[in-house]
Amino acid sequence: MIDLIQNTVDGVMIGSSYGLLALGFTLIFGVMRRLDLAYGPSIMIGGYFGTLLYLHYGAGPFAVAIAVVIGAVIAGIYVERLCFAPMKAGAAIASMVSSFAIWMQLEQAAILVLPRHTYPFPPLATAAPLEFGPFLVRVDHLIMLACALALAAAVHIALYRTRFGLALRAIIGNPVAAHLVGINVRTAVLLAFAGASAVGGAAGFLVLAVDQQVTPMFGMWATLKGLIAMMIGGLGSVPGAVVGGLLLGIVEANSQWYFGPQIRDLVAYVVLFAFLVVRPQGLLGSAPEPAMPPKA
Amino acid sequence: MDDYLIGVLSNIGVISFVALSAYLLLLTGEISFGQQGFFAIGAYAAGIATALWGWSLTTALVWGAAVSGSAALLVGVPTLRLHGLYFAIATLAFAEMVRILFELFRYQISIDGELIGPNGTDGFRNIRYIFDHNIDAFQFLLLIYSLLAATMLAFMLLERSRLGVIFRMIGQDETLAELQGIPVARYRVLAAGIAGMLAGIGGGLYAHLTTYVEPRIFDIMLGVHSLAYGLIGGLGTALGPLLGVLIDIGLLESIRALAGYRMIIFGGLVAMLLIVRPRGLLDEVVVHKIGRGWRRVALWVRRSGLKPRANNARATGGPP
Repeated sequence: MIDLIQNTVDGVMIGSSYGLLALGFTLIFGVMRRLDLAYGPSIMIGGYFGTLLYLHYGAGPFAVAIAVVIGAVIAGIYVERLCFAPMKAGAAIASMVSSFAIWMQLEQAAILVLPRHTYPFPPLATAAPLEFGPFLVRVDHLIMLACALALAAAVHIALYRTRFGLALRAIIGNPVAAHLVGINVRTAVLLAFAGASAVGGAAGFLVLAVDQQVTPMFGMWATLKGLIAMMIGGLGSVPGAVVGGLLLGIVEANSQWYFGPQIRDLVAYVVLFAFLVVRPQGLLGSAPEPAMPPKA
Repeated sequence: MDDYLIGVLSNIGVISFVALSAYLLLLTGEISFGQQGFFAIGAYAAGIATALWGWSLTTALVWGAAVSGSAALLVGVPTLRLHGLYFAIATLAFAEMVRILFELFRYQISIDGELIGPNGTDGFRNIRYIFDHNIDAFQFLLLIYSLLAATMLAFMLLERSRLGVIFRMIGQDETLAELQGIPVARYRVLAAGIAGMLAGIGGGLYAHLTTYVEPRIFDIMLGVHSLAYGLIGGLGTALGPLLGVLIDIGLLESIRALAGYRMIIFGGLVAMLLIVRPRGLLDEVVVHKIGRGWRRVALWVRRSGLKPRANNARATGGPP
């Protein structure tokens, strides 16, 4: 029982970062109605920015965090300009494949700049874990959870309490109608993409700082975790992304503890597959519409 | 032919099967990130059949195709009502489950004092059929390409058949197809099954080509690549995915001077290509134009009496 609770607590902590990854993902998907496979790799580019700053100038966590976010936003804008903005309406598959091509490109670029397999990343906090009765909680995990919740709240406020958020929700609802009432759709989409990349960058920084290392594989990892959490929580739903991330974290932490890392990954995919088959709208999403029109 | 060229060509041939498998589903309007799962199932099934059970290569390939095809039918049913992104992610989840299950899969038999068979993450070594039976690399290359040619022939016939029209119709507008009285669900499962079989044949050939498979090969990278090949080469004809494989493996992987920059060039090229041609190089329009041009030439040849033909009634027939 103590194990179960401890695992669940750890899972919530890790899951909060999955939730943030899913949040950025779901924003991009909501605005674009297209899947950005290069989402994780652009966060990885941010991670490499941060590592370079740390290796060469000994930058502290705060400066590194800003570098990661800026790097992720720059890479995200590059992806948007190349894979999404110039595509005709209806070319959803082309955008997706194009973002995959850019994924390959970003990964290779990262390997060319820093060719070793892993590089150190500055830790978030090195204090000893806090004890609550029989339970241990890592300090950096707590910081991660707090940052994740704060950011999720900020995204929620930005979407539902600002004029820009209203414009974005109008675009999500119907881009043509949004354009007709005078919203500059292309600019708003670019800004949303940059914002989503910034959220992803923040999530990436938190994960990398907890792991204290960065590898070129991080891009694929971030895309997959964000994707799974987003689909479980419900495509396009902001609270769904957070809940999906937390659920994924809890499931993973427990299956890892009881069955090892391979079964952990297997369980994550089984949960994802089961959700898609039984409840495609996820935990908190609305009933699925044809997310991508069948015409490519 | 030198060994390197044979190796590259064999690779192109084998990967073409997965690309064609993803392409077939694209025809019916579905994006699959998971054809590498059926490729893996075919590779393991065929490899086990020759290395452990002593079957002949032909039976093993048929067996591999049958197992992966049945798996695809089984996955096809529950994912039937999923579309677009939902279908893509469900197939991805399935393929990753397959990969992890092969990481856990151990089935070894002692043959001549040596343990042979799949051994979890260490993979499955010594699928030595082509060495034991003195099949050289060139003969195996011929085998790959004759199977590929047969598959391409089947695709050409498919494009001219009622079944091909139905597949493309479902891909264009599923509701309309349903309203026309087409049992869409049945045809979608059928397409999934055939696509799984194709990937399985490729997997069986792959296992015997490399003599060694491990679960890591069959990750999402292979799946998204095989999807991308069809889109780069073009969705208008089954030659499209082949062209895509040829461009990636044939052109870029083989030019060793590009090593290290391959993905930067490939990624950039693909992204820019897709802006100009969102349905690939050989898209439906190009294929139609080529077909029309071909028919004009054929007509001109007949009119100028260079090549008289008895059956003029079929003069307008040609590649669609």
